[in-house]
Amino acid sequence: MTQSGHGVKTGLCFPLDSNFEGIEVMREKMGIVETKNLSKKYAKPENKAEYFYAVNGLSLVIEAGEIYGILGPNGAGKTTTLEMLEGLIDIDGGEAYIDGINVETHPFAIKQIIGVQLQDNEYFDRLSLTELLNLFCALYHRPAEPRSLLAKVNLTDKALAKPADLSGGQKQRFSIACALANEPKVLFLDEPTTGLDPQAKHNLWDLARELNSGGVTILLTTHNMDEAETLCHRIAIMDHGKIIAEDTPQNLIEKYAPEPPVALRHGNMEDVFLALTGSALRD
Amino acid sequence: MHLRDRQAIVFSLVFPIAFMLVFGFTTGNRDPIELGVVNNARSELADEFIKTLNDNPLFSVTEGGEEDLRTALIEGDSKMVLILPAEFQDTDSGSRLRLLVDLAQTRQLSLIMPVFEKALVTVERDLRNTRPMFSLSVEDVKARSQSYIDFLIPGLLAFTLMQISISGSGFNIVEYRRKGILKRLFVTPIQPRDFIMGLVLARLLLIVVQLSVLLGIAVFFLDVTIVGDFASLYFVIVLSAVIFLSLGFCLGSIAKTQQAIMAMGNLFIFPQMFLSGIFFPIDSLPELVQPLASLLPLSFVANALREIASNGLSLLEILPELTGITVWLVGGFLLATRLFVWKEFAS
Repeated sequence: MTQSGHGVKTGLCFPLDSNFEGIEVMREKMGIVETKNLSKKYAKPENKAEYFYAVNGLSLVIEAGEIYGILGPNGAGKTTTLEMLEGLIDIDGGEAYIDGINVETHPFAIKQIIGVQLQDNEYFDRLSLTELLNLFCALYHRPAEPRSLLAKVNLTDKALAKPADLSGGQKQRFSIACALANEPKVLFLDEPTTGLDPQAKHNLWDLARELNSGGVTILLTTHNMDEAETLCHRIAIMDHGKIIAEDTPQNLIEKYAPEPPVALRHGNMEDVFLALTGSALRD
Repeated sequence: MHLRDRQAIVFSLVFPIAFMLVFGFTTGNRDPIELGVVNNARSELADEFIKTLNDNPLFSVTEGGEEDLRTALIEGDSKMVLILPAEFQDTDSGSRLRLLVDLAQTRQLSLIMPVFEKALVTVERDLRNTRPMFSLSVEDVKARSQSYIDFLIPGLLAFTLMQISISGSGFNIVEYRRKGILKRLFVTPIQPRDFIMGLVLARLLLIVVQLSVLLGIAVFFLDVTIVGDFASLYFVIVLSAVIFLSLGFCLGSIAKTQQAIMAMGNLFIFPQMFLSGIFFPIDSLPELVQPLASLLPLSFVANALREIASNGLSLLEILPELTGITVWLVGGFLLATRLFVWKEFAS
């Protein structure tokens, strides 16, 4: 693999395959992730001749170093948006750029610089975590470093375990370790804390913050409002394939949240749960 | 990692091995046909006729009353019943013999009728004291000893090769897709072509080992003679494995569920099991089916393996089969890369 960015007009350095030459990179003016009028349509299940838009003219700009959350009810188009950016599904309309590279025209260049954690994360079940991480490193033609990846997500003692032996939280962390195999610039997390106990959830948030402070931009979807509020720098709320609000959590709360009733309670159920069961990780 | 599924690897060999042993240790002689004879004539001639039948190894004769033998026939205890009429004697008027058969159970009628006729002719000759004008003696010109097992083994190798290849690629692909493993791989920069090649190579290695086990059992325990050279044999085995692995990928790309791939796999495997000359030669099929049957991938493979293993032909001498194999190989691989999809199908 060639290491210098030949063919890249801005001369910025990132690992390039020879077939990625000639990519137009327009990084200066753009956010690290940027979409313009992004659309995805599917045939309606009840009438195949008609279409509906799962994502409908979505435009967003995510700056490098942000943790950006997409919220929305089920079917709002969160996962579809992520999958278009990841190159998993075709883009039907509009444009998407990651680090200045057009997702539609250079999907393999995109795959080199993103890390992805999918909603369902199954792996070859007869390989150990170490073997799987070796495999993922190999897929990026990178030297295998399973130990340091496992250390990053606090799973060193599970090096020889199989994915099936992991708890929900450990599985999510392992999934992130796989996503970090190529030292991605952008990390996509699709509902990373769904189904996790509070300890595992807080642990995963710490991990996300740590990765983010190391320079990784994180784009996540979530149904967990705490997660959006405490973890994300900015939030987009999606419904019916469109962004209906986008701002920092604080601004959104000030703008949209109804006036609080006279406060009677201190804290919430989660504070109770953590006070009773401790915040130590249970995996 | 497929190598770690020891259960699958071992069990995929159980059927062919059992099959080989069953056929390897039976003599290959046909069981005699149970023939009931009702003797209504009670003449010397009739006794002589029955004796002639009895001497023929093709038949095992039971004499009895018509009612009893008819029941035996209906219950399947005897294959056919021959009734000698009362007027079965030395006259020039000719006698009519009745043959009762259950046609639903007897397929060899065309094979048996000439034997009856021959028995009748022999009896007639004896009576008229004439000598046969012609006699036929069969001489085997093949210098080597060939038995059914020698015919069967190459076919069985080809069949096993097809079966483990199809399940090794197609079934796994569906599983990987259902679990989302393929989707996960798709967000890495791996190319479909590389993924397929990688999987094919890994499976190939295993298949070669599995077939060597079968071949070893055939050669060392069943005294099967491999006439041709092993290099050519393995060359064909490797090409064939790639064909069936690719075709397995095609099936796996079309099938959405494990159930679907099972059904498709059977649809692919079973017709070829009967049409491709595995257990009996293609020549014995109805003529209408033969041209089509000989174009099936398994036909080319089974023929090629048989020509090398049993007849000792070289690769150059089996060019037609090799051409067929190459066409299926290229077509199969192109189709596999074309059809291959990483994702769970959009619901």
